[in-house]
This record gives sequence, structure tokens and C-alpha cells, in this order.
Amino acid sequence: MFGSWNDFERTFAAMDELRRTVEQAWREDEAFPFQTAGAWPRVSLWDEGSNLVLKADLPGLTEKDLQLQLTQDVLTVTGSRRSDAPEGYSVHRQERLPARFSRSFTLPVKVDGAAISASLKDGVLTVTMPKAPESQPRQITVKAA
Amino acid sequence: MADNKIARKENGALAAEQLDRRPVVAPPVDIYENRDEILVLADVPGARTDGVTVRLDKNELYLHARREDGTAGSAVLGGARTADYSRTFIVPRGIDAEKISADLNAGVLRIHLPKSDAVKPRKIEVRAS
Repeated sequence: MFGSWNDFERTFAAMDELRRTVEQAWREDEAFPFQTAGAWPRVSLWDEGSNLVLKADLPGLTEKDLQLQLTQDVLTVTGSRRSDAPEGYSVHRQERLPARFSRSFTLPVKVDGAAISASLKDGVLTVTMPKAPESQPRQITVKAA
Repeated sequence: MADNKIARKENGALAAEQLDRRPVVAPPVDIYENRDEILVLADVPGARTDGVTVRLDKNELYLHARREDGTAGSAVLGGARTADYSRTFIVPRGIDAEKISADLNAGVLRIHLPKSDAVKPRKIEVRAS
């Protein structure tokens, strides 16, 4: 099935899974209503059947601030958020700090690298990755014998 | 809130609708001030202008932004909580409520709270008598 998967990679997948669970629990803790805990940016990955869709909350970024790279089954999002502090103002509170980030995600299935598209709208990056033909869901008809 | 209907008509029959239980998070904000205004910047990715409410009630500034981007399919990681944004601040006296303005660009909400003339710093000329 996934011929390239070996035990070594599976170990890391388990570690990733644990980290996600811990991060999610951390966010859901009502004692921390502010989003600042956990990694920035906030990212979610969706399986839409024929596509994988990655969404990242990147308010204030433009397409020039972002780089996307796919290596085998690892998608890397790199970017930086510049300070948008206005000139000549005194600061009362600063929770939106400039950031430089790089996040990599091991995709659960093979995707068609040439057909990936990405868009940035309302501060949300959406990366649509069509699955490779061999990982597309397949309907199997059950025939009466 | 006014848009929270307890019940609505569906196919002619009165059907119970659940109250709005969408999860809400506090967006991170920056607050700046100069001699003319207080400026609030809030990160509200996924919100559009028609889903944003900014209100000044006495001395409370209330902001709420509805997150509009939905996704079909099942979450592989981190997707379980798509939350709206809400936060309230106490603002100092002397804000000119009529002139408050807000704009939204690339998921960043900017709220300008102009100070009324009465509280602006004023320079007093000293004249020789």
C-alpha cells in the first residue's frame, strides 16, 4: 500500500500525532482563552476526498511573504510577518508580534505535486493538493455472486 | 444579540433552532495611542467585513468577528475548532464615539478611536505682558 513507509517513518508519525494531541488539548483548555499558546501560525489539514486542503491563519501577510515547498510527501510553509506598528504612536499593548516561521507537515497520502494550488484570502492561506491517482478514493461495487 | 433567533420557520413549520454555540476565541491585539487617536489592531483571519461588529457602549469597546471560511471533509489535524472572535475593552473617557472607524484588510482589523477635542493635549502660548 504505502510501500515507501518504513518503521522509522512510522515512529515519527506517532510522535507527530502525540504532539498534535497535546497542542490541541492545550488550545482547548479554557484557562488559556488567548491563542498565543502553541505554534504560530494556526494550521489545519483537511481531507476532502479527492483533495487534501491545508489552511493556515496568516493575518497581515501578503503572497510575497510566503514560500511553499513540497518534497516527496512533506509540505513546508515558510514565511515572515513584518511588524505593522504605526510610526509615532506609543504602545499600550502588543500581542501581535512579528514572526518568522517554518512549518513542515508530513502528508498522509501521496499528492500530485504539479497540480497543487495555493491562495491567500482574508488572512487565510489555503493550499489545495489533489491526491495522486493511486491515493484517490475508489468506489468498489459489490456484486451478487 | 439581535440576530440570535430562538426559533425559525422551516418548511412552513416552526422548528426549534439551537442557540448560537459557535466557539469564540479572543483575537490577539495591539493597542497604540498618539495625540489624536487610539488605534486597535486585531488579528481576525477568515473574517469578512460583513461579519464584523464593532460597538462602543458607554466606555466598553466590543468587537466581534464571525469566521466565514468553512471546509468540507474531515480534519486530519487541528481542524476541530473554527472559532469566531470576540473581545471587549474598557476605553478611557474622551473618545469621540461618532468618529470611530474600522477597516479590515487581509484578516487584520484596525479600529481608529479618535479622541474628542476636549481631551487632546493643548499647547498654551506664553506671552510677554
